[in-house]
Amino acid sequence: MAEEGKRSRVKVESILSVVSSNPTRPGKVHKLSLLDQSMGPHTIHIVFYYGSNPFSDGPMSSDLENFRVSLSDVLDEYPVVTGRLTRGPDGGGWQVKCNDAGVRVLQARVDATVDEWLRSADVDEERDLTVWEDMPLDPSFWSPFRIQVNNFKCGGLAIGLSCTHMHADITSATLLIKSWADYHSTQTLTYPPIFTLPTHTHPQNTTTPPPHSPTTNTTPPPTKMATVTMKFSGPAVEKCLSGARSQCPDATPFDVLVALLWSKIAHWQEPHTADDNKRSISICTDSRGNRGQKTKIPLGYFGNALSFSVLTVEADELSSGKLGQVCEYVHRHVVDRAGPGLVDGDGEDPVRVYGPQITCVSTEHLVDAEKNGEAIMYSAVFDNNNNNNKNNIKGEKPLHVSYSYGNVVGEGLIVVVPTAEVGPGRAVTVTLPEEQIDMLCKDQEILDLEGVMVISGGR
Amino acid sequence: MAPPPPPPEYSQSVKLKYVKLGYHYLINHFLLFLLLPITLSLTIEALRTTPQELQTLCNSIKLTLIHVISSLFLVIYISTYYIMSRPRPVYLVDHALFKPPASFRVSFAGFMEHARMAPFSEPRSVHFQMKILERSGLGEQTSLPPAIRYIPPSPNMNLAREEAELVIFTCMDSLIRKTGVEPKDVDILVLNCSLFSPTPSLTAMVVNKYGMRSNVKSFNLSGMGCSAGLISIDLAKDLLQHHPNSNAVVISTEILTPNSYMGKERAMLLPNCLFRMGGAAVLLSNRRSDRRRAKYRLAHVVRTHKGADDKSYRCVSQEEDSEGNVGIKLNIDLMAIAGEALKSNITTMGPLVLPASEQLLFALSFIGRKMINSKWKQYIPDFKQAFDHFCIHAGGRAVIDELQRSLRLTAEQVEASRMSLHRFGNTSSSSLWYELSYIESKGRMKRGDRVWQIAFGSGFKCNSAVWKCNRTVDPTAEDGGPWADCIDNYPVYIPEVVKL
Repeated sequence: MAEEGKRSRVKVESILSVVSSNPTRPGKVHKLSLLDQSMGPHTIHIVFYYGSNPFSDGPMSSDLENFRVSLSDVLDEYPVVTGRLTRGPDGGGWQVKCNDAGVRVLQARVDATVDEWLRSADVDEERDLTVWEDMPLDPSFWSPFRIQVNNFKCGGLAIGLSCTHMHADITSATLLIKSWADYHSTQTLTYPPIFTLPTHTHPQNTTTPPPHSPTTNTTPPPTKMATVTMKFSGPAVEKCLSGARSQCPDATPFDVLVALLWSKIAHWQEPHTADDNKRSISICTDSRGNRGQKTKIPLGYFGNALSFSVLTVEADELSSGKLGQVCEYVHRHVVDRAGPGLVDGDGEDPVRVYGPQITCVSTEHLVDAEKNGEAIMYSAVFDNNNNNNKNNIKGEKPLHVSYSYGNVVGEGLIVVVPTAEVGPGRAVTVTLPEEQIDMLCKDQEILDLEGVMVISGGR
Repeated sequence: MAPPPPPPEYSQSVKLKYVKLGYHYLINHFLLFLLLPITLSLTIEALRTTPQELQTLCNSIKLTLIHVISSLFLVIYISTYYIMSRPRPVYLVDHALFKPPASFRVSFAGFMEHARMAPFSEPRSVHFQMKILERSGLGEQTSLPPAIRYIPPSPNMNLAREEAELVIFTCMDSLIRKTGVEPKDVDILVLNCSLFSPTPSLTAMVVNKYGMRSNVKSFNLSGMGCSAGLISIDLAKDLLQHHPNSNAVVISTEILTPNSYMGKERAMLLPNCLFRMGGAAVLLSNRRSDRRRAKYRLAHVVRTHKGADDKSYRCVSQEEDSEGNVGIKLNIDLMAIAGEALKSNITTMGPLVLPASEQLLFALSFIGRKMINSKWKQYIPDFKQAFDHFCIHAGGRAVIDELQRSLRLTAEQVEASRMSLHRFGNTSSSSLWYELSYIESKGRMKRGDRVWQIAFGSGFKCNSAVWKCNRTVDPTAEDGGPWADCIDNYPVYIPEVVKL
């Protein structure tokens, strides 16, 4: 996708480490759960885009110093984030030695304004806004969390967080940035982190995870993948929802959008191994919050609380155009989740995380929790109320938040994320083989929804 | 028949203690004991003479008016000369210390990671730094400036200036707030910073920022090492003798940004492990109006320079290693040289501060060794008698251990030094002020207490100052000093080796 001779517009200027303000109790160790460890080599990358730099105004002389102050303070609450990975005492699972070694923070400059970037950059360029590093053989001196602060020409800012999936899932990583924003603004946390759960609610596996070591090579996918992000407005999604409500009264935007996309993609999908007439996708939901699940994992739990499961549906139903019916299957599947972990869909092949089928990631739980329906990631506002706020500028909400995954091998990935506007509007990031993306973008039904393309390379 | 058992140790030592006490009391109040009988006999004699005898005594002296007036003038002249030639008292009104922001903190694990990632590092030098850090006596809350926290460290002049501005201006603002001094009222400004000396100087930077007068006497001392703090105090003291009714601001700091050593020579890696950010500003005055509110009065400053001896001169030196990296090389015989310098210093200091009893014993044993029997052990005076508090430059754990041993100090007397080293690291010339602040924050500083500050520095120099506390310092009234938020956690047990 990169044009010939196209140079990256992002230039990293400096790297440093930031530690917490107060020392951690010596000897503290955090054991990663089984689910954490089964996340293997995957990595998470989140970028928060802001229209203005909230750190340019503050008690210290440079904005680097200003964000170090609030970041150090909030890291007091997250000793796991500043620790380092070591092998457990029995040589088995990974654990985190909370030794205050710190997180890496990079400062970079982007040769574009935020709007230009959102319009013209593609996923490959967006990679430059976060740090993409694989875990080395000896991770004792390697920082699993890396934050990159990117300054745009217009004064906008993009905060890029990347971390290993073993340490956190997208909810925890999002809440880390949200806590940072909370601390910066009000010095209190809306969702204080919890690192251990009572044993009966602890994420369990029903299948043994494949042991992850850094030497496991992930073979690159044979086909070239492309990614687009489409922002569907509230009314557009509402239209779909009303269409599906006849058969699925409790449909959520995730259900209906997955159903819509799946019905398009089904034509090109690989048939199910056992039965040519079936198609499957892997659905990834979060077990936190109050989704009426049996296990109550609080939203502030820091770690992995995802559940992966496979949904298989007759191919005819997908291509018949009965959106409501497919939506009902998806919805039923999501609601029936037993709890966090890997669960077999049909009791056949063991489930893997993020593959090999298309994986659909839901973040609906990040919308329900807020009272006024605002998504949590869009409430990460860096206010300067309690600092020397000379210009009295109120902090801004993020313009856009993007999520990507590293080392994910599979047929594709669909991530459904709320948008800045309150309501059913969603931004859907679709990763599929290049031709399928092209066809998807030309599909009439999709075009009817009038989605705005961001970070899609100017499509 | 068995010999009688020797008297038990306890009663022997008690007897000895009383003898010692009696001796000290006798010698220290010798003049009193001498004067008392003389005064008594004179009074008795005066009471016995009748007024007539007194009259005849006066007449026989044959005093004329001229004699009386001229002798009166003589007396007045002599007393005026005496009063005028006495040194002006120098008061320390207050001091302000730099408390680094929590985001500048350096953890052991973070330090070791950066050491590993440094461009010229090799496993041996990393291992060496780890060993040093484990035994250093530093804690996990010391601070380094941002330039050194970059990977790789990026010391440049801009960042050095920023660090200087942050440290010095914070101290000055705090000093102005605590003492109420107006920058336009400052007569003398002395600043010492050993390793960073830009043009215009750091004193010019202060004059510019605070709008000081055009005839302020400013002095910028650089290159004088960790003992430069007391050198600045000495300079300010001498200037205050010359200028009546004046005040002086003394700023002591060390700017670390330009001085991170980036090579692998082990003798030069030590300062990386031990030196941390810090700074202090002190207001001195010789005005009578400050007499009431001043915290301390400067009693003595003794400076000893051993630079004439080659070994002492070369023991701490800034040089380039074989790869061209500049660093400060510490020689292996540093502790021995420091011991020698200390001995010289206290030999000069002793007569000024020790009570007469100790001086007599020292003199007797000295004479005895020279004339009677050179095998007698030299009597080392007990400095604990002369001082109530000790501030030993927190150069490193070895320095404090060595001084504790040679001066026979108790653990409580070196507590201020050890805890300052733990909380702030080796902040070079300002470490003495952090230690003084610790003693004050603990509520131990009472009126009349005498404090001894000892500093060592490259050259090789040993400087010491004696302060007398002017008014009891109330720890709760301390305007957010550097120890305010953590004093209750101290003293902390510092293990010999911290396992990293």
